[in-house]
Amino acid sequence: MSEEAEFEGSQFDDDPSIWQISANGVSMQTTDVEVKIDEGNIQEAESALREGLSLNFEEARALLGKLEYQRGNLESALRVFDGIDLQAAIQRMQPSLTEKQLSKKGRARSESNRAVSQHAASLILEAVYLKAKSLQKLGKLTEAAHECKNVLDAVEKIFYKGITDVSVDCKLQEIVSQAVELLPELFKQAGSYVEAMSAYRRALLSHWNLENDCCARIQKDFAVFLLYSGVEVAPPSLAVQVDGSYVPRNNLEEAILLLMILIRKAFLGKSHWDPSVFEHLTFALSICSQTCVLGKQLEEVMPGILTRSDRWKALALCYSQAGDEKNALNMLRKSLHQHEDPNDVMSLLLAAKICSGDSFLAAEGVSYARRAITNAQGSSVHLKGIALRMLGLCLGKQAKIASSDSERSHLQSEALKSLDSARALEPENSNLIFDIAFQYAEHRNLNAALRYAKQYIDATGGSILRGWRLLALVLSAQQHYSEAEIVIDAALDETAKWNQGSLLRMKAKLRISQSRYTDAIETYRYLLALVQAQKKSYGPGRKVIQKENDKVNEYEVWHDLANLYTSLSHWEDAEICLNKAKALVGYSEVTLHTEGIILERRGKHAEALTAYVNSIFMEPTYVPTKISLGSLLGKGGTKMLPVARNLLSDALRLDPTSRMAWFQLGLVHRDDGRLSDAADCFQAASMLEESDPVESFSSIH
Amino acid sequence: MSIGEDEASSSRTSPKSPHISWSDSYTKAHEAIKSLSPIVSSIPPALSSSETPASCLLNNQDIATQISTLLRHPDSGSGDNRLCRWLYDTFQTNEPDLHLVVLRFLPILAGVYLSRAALHKPLAGFECVLLALYAHETASRKGQALTVSIPDLSHPSVYHESKQNPKNSATELNIAIISPSLEPYGTVRSTRRARIVGVALEFYYTKITQIPIRSKIEFCEFCKIWAGQHGDSYKNYDDHDGEIQEQGKKQGRILLPWELLQPILRIVGHCLMGPSNDEELFETACGACRSLYERALHEINPKAILATESLFKLAKITRNSRDIDHTEIEHTKVIAI
Repeated sequence: MSEEAEFEGSQFDDDPSIWQISANGVSMQTTDVEVKIDEGNIQEAESALREGLSLNFEEARALLGKLEYQRGNLESALRVFDGIDLQAAIQRMQPSLTEKQLSKKGRARSESNRAVSQHAASLILEAVYLKAKSLQKLGKLTEAAHECKNVLDAVEKIFYKGITDVSVDCKLQEIVSQAVELLPELFKQAGSYVEAMSAYRRALLSHWNLENDCCARIQKDFAVFLLYSGVEVAPPSLAVQVDGSYVPRNNLEEAILLLMILIRKAFLGKSHWDPSVFEHLTFALSICSQTCVLGKQLEEVMPGILTRSDRWKALALCYSQAGDEKNALNMLRKSLHQHEDPNDVMSLLLAAKICSGDSFLAAEGVSYARRAITNAQGSSVHLKGIALRMLGLCLGKQAKIASSDSERSHLQSEALKSLDSARALEPENSNLIFDIAFQYAEHRNLNAALRYAKQYIDATGGSILRGWRLLALVLSAQQHYSEAEIVIDAALDETAKWNQGSLLRMKAKLRISQSRYTDAIETYRYLLALVQAQKKSYGPGRKVIQKENDKVNEYEVWHDLANLYTSLSHWEDAEICLNKAKALVGYSEVTLHTEGIILERRGKHAEALTAYVNSIFMEPTYVPTKISLGSLLGKGGTKMLPVARNLLSDALRLDPTSRMAWFQLGLVHRDDGRLSDAADCFQAASMLEESDPVESFSSIH
Repeated sequence: MSIGEDEASSSRTSPKSPHISWSDSYTKAHEAIKSLSPIVSSIPPALSSSETPASCLLNNQDIATQISTLLRHPDSGSGDNRLCRWLYDTFQTNEPDLHLVVLRFLPILAGVYLSRAALHKPLAGFECVLLALYAHETASRKGQALTVSIPDLSHPSVYHESKQNPKNSATELNIAIISPSLEPYGTVRSTRRARIVGVALEFYYTKITQIPIRSKIEFCEFCKIWAGQHGDSYKNYDDHDGEIQEQGKKQGRILLPWELLQPILRIVGHCLMGPSNDEELFETACGACRSLYERALHEINPKAILATESLFKLAKITRNSRDIDHTEIEHTKVIAI
């Protein structure tokens, strides 16, 4: 059956409407055969083929079946294929035991046999494969899967050493590859998901000598199946693992691994770039909140695959989620450049949102938000309210560092106006209610703040902690401490144990404000017990994994206690607590400041000065230290008064609502003889005292 | 309303010998059908005489419609609601087949519940069922967090080799928490509401291959309501005409914290890209995905934007792709050996 002879005498080549069968150097038209088989005479058709082309029984059947399959007569194809005894054929082709042993020594002999047996094998296996395909098309999926599995089992028996490039011809390889790819698909369509899973693993972990694209297709299909099917099956067995290798323990891990491998392969040019692979990986990693890993993948993307502005945008989202706002903003600045994609509303909104978190970026954020408002048209028109919200937030933040009172109040009222118009567009967005309440609170318009804070709790069904905290703070600013405490108790009722930390801390502070020191200490004691219980329940290793969001922060508790004992002049207790706090965070501007206060209150002024200065060195914008240092220097005689004034003014620039700073500045003015300035400062301080919350409002964010 | 600790722990499936378990589940399912009959208007005859009552109860469309209508009733969900009681009791039989029946109605139950949570309506009946699901999931996970260690290609694996020496690249793998550890809860505290429903949805997801398509479609429809976005803004972008939803109808919008959104996205992902080839499910899931994408943009929540946008793009790719069947043989007019 030489290949060259195959097409000899095929004079019908040009006529596309006529089927031909060619074998053994002879070619024949199939018109007669088709007539016979259409009449149901399979045997006659078969013998016509055998006579015309000098074929044996199996060959004739296989060709006839293929003819029927190609003609679309699937039922008939199945009847033809049913005549072939597959098992017998496979057994004939299997290398006998002696042959297996011989194959090492007598290479030459087995080489000569191989061509013959491979030819026979591909004929038979193709027949079985087409049987599976016919069954699939007829909707008999389970049977189809069974036949397809037979093909693979047979291949494994015949080529017991696995398939290599040199061991099979391309015809056989093609059938093997197709069967490998078809089997899991059949199981999947049949709803046998567990079998599909093992068929995929068999496809990918055995040696089928698949070409790269075929392997990539199977890997992708498998990853998709793992990612979305919801079927949880045991991971690949440990038997196939190499030492020190990565072992996926569940579907999600296996899917992510496969997708990463696919992307790597595409980068190395081993397979085509398939954009959906990256989307699947994006989905998988964002579901796991692992956008930092996704960011790394994006950084590795080869040029020419994504447009650069798309890549910057995606990177910005990844970085921002991972908490790296600075880099996120840098990416957005690039992608929003006028030559890139300056009108993309999503990027503008994200940029504005990032800027709204930092007073010094707020002005930049305002311009992004304004651009977003202008561009919220067409398919983005629904984002207009959000753009207005961002404008409001950025303006509110910008007001914090306004250089003059008039500018500040202008910005604040603009912020509120913007939030109000956002609310008109987004009446169901409860975030806006909170934002408005917060703005009013920062304004010290406490009645309005109270109204909105209550509304927020109503709208969210009390499910958001920050709503409760804001309400309590507003009440505390109104000096309604016991009401604030009731709010906190209500909130504690709605909160699970581990999330009560911030509430309990506020409760303790409320008690301090009412001079109920013993009660406050009791609350702190409870908090510390909670910390211990939490440590126990999570164990030492788990802490790293669990994000400490609403959890109790032990350091803060000790620090609060140190402050409390200081104010009660219990120096020893204060120092013990301070040392506990230091043990947890080391030196920080906060602990150094408290240390300074203790020293100052005990009359050790020089040492207190050192502590304050160290604290300033650690964090030049830490307001409490500036105030303490200013007040200490102010007591140091007239020469020091200008320095004190500078420090206190600076503190007020950073936090214009600091009652203590105004008071201390008033003292400095008084000592310096500027009595009317002093009076102004004292007045500001006393006004602020009437609206001072127990914690700063910004601590809620 | 509260569920005692003992009840929560008893939901751990107790081992039974197989032959008892069969007859047991058969009787329990029939009992469940019997106790359902005074609650619904009529029990379809196919159900009461079924050989496989549990699976019949799961898949019977008639009974599902009746139960769904009752669940959507404005007064459903109160503490003395008989249907909620039935769902709770059915779940507490601890028959996996009957668990599926209860889970099948989770989309509607959770949907109605979450949309009503801020409206001061009695919801104790719903909460009872949700807490039972939560307790079951807590027990079967032993309260443990679900984690994923993110692969790093510098470590070789079964599917690839690495040229780098694994000793040199002794990098720590990133560990991601899919679902944090679970505390037992006896009541629904409002700040834990999203988490409790989220865990119930995680449970739903683990059984999702056995859940009827209709239930998943209902889930996707609720996603649109929850998102509070009609999702039409990106419809044209999607090159697809579907029914246009009523504009401005945003009732039922809920807060979507990540603990709730994440399981929602996994379920929507399954509905879009999972192995079932149901056209209606795919289209409804597309709609849900668009709405959630809009919502993610409204929240400017980066990971929600990434996740929903990728699903949205994948749906588009799937719809527009001409499937080339690589398993089809080459068609020739000359058939040769």
